[in-house]
Amino acid sequence: MKKVLFFLLLLTASKGYAQQQDSTFYLQNVVVTGTRTPKLLKDVPIQTRLITAEDIERIDATNVEDLLQQEMPGVEFSYAQNQLKHMNFCGFGGQGVLFLMDGERLAGETMDDVDFSRLEMANVDRIEIVKGAASALYGSNAGGGVINIITKDVKEPWTLNVNARFAKHEERRVGGSWGLNRKAWRNLLSVNHTFTDNFMVKNAPDPKAQVVSTVYGDCTWNVKERLTFSPTAHVKLIGRAGYFYRQVTRTFDNPERYRDYSAGLRGLWDMTGQDHLELSYSFDQYDKSDYHRITKIDVRDYSNVQNIFRGVYHHSWDGGDILTIGADFMHDYLMNKNLGRKNINQDSFDAYAQYDWMASERWEVVGALRYDYFSDKKDSRLSPKLSARYQPLENMNVRFGYGMGFRAPALKEKYYNFDMVGIWIIQGNEQLKSEVSHNFQASADYTRGQYNFTASVYYNDVRNKIATGVPHYLPTDYKQLYLDYVNFENYAVWGGEATVQARWSNGLSARMSYAYTDERLPKNKEGQAVNNQYIPARRHSLMVRVDWSKQFSQNYGLSLSLNGRFLSGVENVEFVDYYDISKGTNKVEYPAYTLWKLSAAQRFGKAWKLTVAVDNLLNYKPKYYYFNCPLTDGANLMVGLSIDLNRLR
Amino acid sequence: MKVENSLFAGFSIFKSFVAVGSFVLMSGVLSSCEGAFEGVYDDPDKEVSIKKGQLVVDATDWQTWHYIDLLEADAAQQKEGKGYSAIEIKIPTERLEASVDEEHSQHEERAGIYTYWYDVFGEGLSKREIRQFVPTKNQDEPASWHLAVHRNNVRTNGGAVYMTAYTSMDDLPESSEAFGEVAFTEDEWNETDVWTVQEKMLQGLIGNQGIKVNSLLSSWLKVSLPPVPPTFTLNNHVFILKLKDGTFAALQLVNYQNAAGVKCHLTINYKYPY
Repeated sequence: MKKVLFFLLLLTASKGYAQQQDSTFYLQNVVVTGTRTPKLLKDVPIQTRLITAEDIERIDATNVEDLLQQEMPGVEFSYAQNQLKHMNFCGFGGQGVLFLMDGERLAGETMDDVDFSRLEMANVDRIEIVKGAASALYGSNAGGGVINIITKDVKEPWTLNVNARFAKHEERRVGGSWGLNRKAWRNLLSVNHTFTDNFMVKNAPDPKAQVVSTVYGDCTWNVKERLTFSPTAHVKLIGRAGYFYRQVTRTFDNPERYRDYSAGLRGLWDMTGQDHLELSYSFDQYDKSDYHRITKIDVRDYSNVQNIFRGVYHHSWDGGDILTIGADFMHDYLMNKNLGRKNINQDSFDAYAQYDWMASERWEVVGALRYDYFSDKKDSRLSPKLSARYQPLENMNVRFGYGMGFRAPALKEKYYNFDMVGIWIIQGNEQLKSEVSHNFQASADYTRGQYNFTASVYYNDVRNKIATGVPHYLPTDYKQLYLDYVNFENYAVWGGEATVQARWSNGLSARMSYAYTDERLPKNKEGQAVNNQYIPARRHSLMVRVDWSKQFSQNYGLSLSLNGRFLSGVENVEFVDYYDISKGTNKVEYPAYTLWKLSAAQRFGKAWKLTVAVDNLLNYKPKYYYFNCPLTDGANLMVGLSIDLNRLR
Repeated sequence: MKVENSLFAGFSIFKSFVAVGSFVLMSGVLSSCEGAFEGVYDDPDKEVSIKKGQLVVDATDWQTWHYIDLLEADAAQQKEGKGYSAIEIKIPTERLEASVDEEHSQHEERAGIYTYWYDVFGEGLSKREIRQFVPTKNQDEPASWHLAVHRNNVRTNGGAVYMTAYTSMDDLPESSEAFGEVAFTEDEWNETDVWTVQEKMLQGLIGNQGIKVNSLLSSWLKVSLPPVPPTFTLNNHVFILKLKDGTFAALQLVNYQNAAGVKCHLTINYKYPY
């Protein structure tokens, strides 16, 4: 029976659509990220946060940044110089959290973060978020967690959707998707375009830290094609290709361009009902270039190319135990005009095994071990993980575990040599060690009637944290400042999260989620706080949402949604004068803020949906547009229309 | 139903197309670990041809004036395969030891490096305060020159400038007589715009050379701070330069960066005598 269930889960997971029967809180939905095997959310041994297509639609999120900051407490997006985005995910930066698209890694980074605007939310079936170290299954960069974005499959014989949304600052989002499903073949083609204009913001006099005066918009195009062929009930082949383009116009004469070309082939074979094999090849190329408007030339200055081969095999036993064995090979190529040399290649290889043991009706224990090898500097790493789930009651789970996370130094961090307009030189460090984190966590969830409660605590002890250090002069060159990548000792982050949600039969539902994050930043030998490259996580964050939905007749339905978030203030130790470090450091206070969004979605018939929303309902305008404040200049009216042409009658 | 059938018919063709396309794509991709689609981009090292009546000056260096003799530029262009090289003369930054009076007086117009603090992260360059003055010797000049460029600054050799409404050299009137009645702007003393010492720029401190410049002709390239790094704005209007010997030249900045994106790499259209 269990093997039949496993097979069914595999099929369902690969089909990707949500099972919603008997699932007030999606507990019957299948998730795959925590153990790399399909599990019902209520049974998964690693705590997993599931964001469904329904959540994404309700939030009307454009990309993953838009979604996470409205849905996940403890996640904040701030900015670096030039308004480049930086994520703080419960104390971990962009390189400490692994983003996956249908299980595949993404090439390219800017200021250590992936290009979030590339991760659009159109045609996303669900997002699975596993907090805490997961390097025993996912390798480097999974120290802070894994965010796996899983796209929709085509269920109906054909689908054709067009949609558009308009808002302030000439913001527009226009998209379309075309799906076909016939016999053994399924195809989904989607095209999406976004645009937001640059706009100016006004700061009060005498800011205490750097501020933004122009908010840069962008223009994106995202085209995705996926073809699925299932010659038998046990075999599935998926081919995909994608193109992404983004342009940011910081200066009129030199718009910055970002492009991504991706392709992949994946084969899934259910060999016996108990044995399952998956093989895949993935190609991802992320390029950056500057367009010279005067001479009409487009000059590339960055390219990261990843070729990845993956294989994973599962065997399940009648008792419910599952063995997972996998291996990956990646060739990583980096061209960056700011490297000490022109380009760098690296091969990496890994192998891992996991055993999921159903010890009893109430106990489940999962152990995993992974070996990673990196050809550059011949670095290798062994990462273990051990997790347990205890079910004292049918509707209650207690989970706890330990996991090791690591992040191999990026090629850029080893070989960078960037002269920042003559002010200082950011330089790589070939001697960097891998950043290693030890993650301990415990969580509990309980469901009773229309109510669901979850609570979790975690502690991360991070050794050899990789970051840029203190600017310094060389003894041979007292005029030029250098900023090196270094390993920091003594970094830790601990915190917790508590969520209560309810869904009543009258169409009303509510959710409140609170996160506490405490970063223990590195200190110098005298025990004093040193300058922190990025502003630390805000200690308290609270998310509130209330939804109400009613179908008044066959032809008319209405959904109302109120979302709010509150983020506490935060202090950061920064150089008084970043370019004259002899003046020492001081504390900069960044204020708390709250943002609310009210939206109304009206459904006309089965095909039409009109959404009207007011973002930043309380018309919040920051006094100073610091690098960690929301870049809003007040309330924003958004109007959107979506038409499912296949449902027109 | 018709829509559905035609969609499926299209789908069959599409499937074959995608299958073949995928195969070709995968073969192409696998053959190169260093990526594909190189043809999308342009080569920054490709030599750009210099047109007739055009000169290129690499004026990127903070501490160098580039002196241009338009007759020499013309002569150099006549010789096949040889571009014009402006005469480079360094800006003096060494303290003039003979001087004992280092207190700055705004009316003295003394050669030297004037360090100003600018409100780079706030109100911008217009809000500034003098912080230091270091006297230096006067700027050296070659025997013969018409204009000199330093990054976004331009000086004339005793000339004066008028900005026309034209944005193409081809649209100019036949002769400079058309500008006989207009008001020309002469060079003026300046100690805030010729950025020479950049070490403390992000502290808002910039060392400027005290020297006469032509603010109108310098407006062909405007530098704005904030943001950091600064932005450059090209003004492609044609300027008329009246030289001290009474002759005229027409000048137009058409580009300020090279193919690698380096700023203050100037491409200038000129017509002399005009």
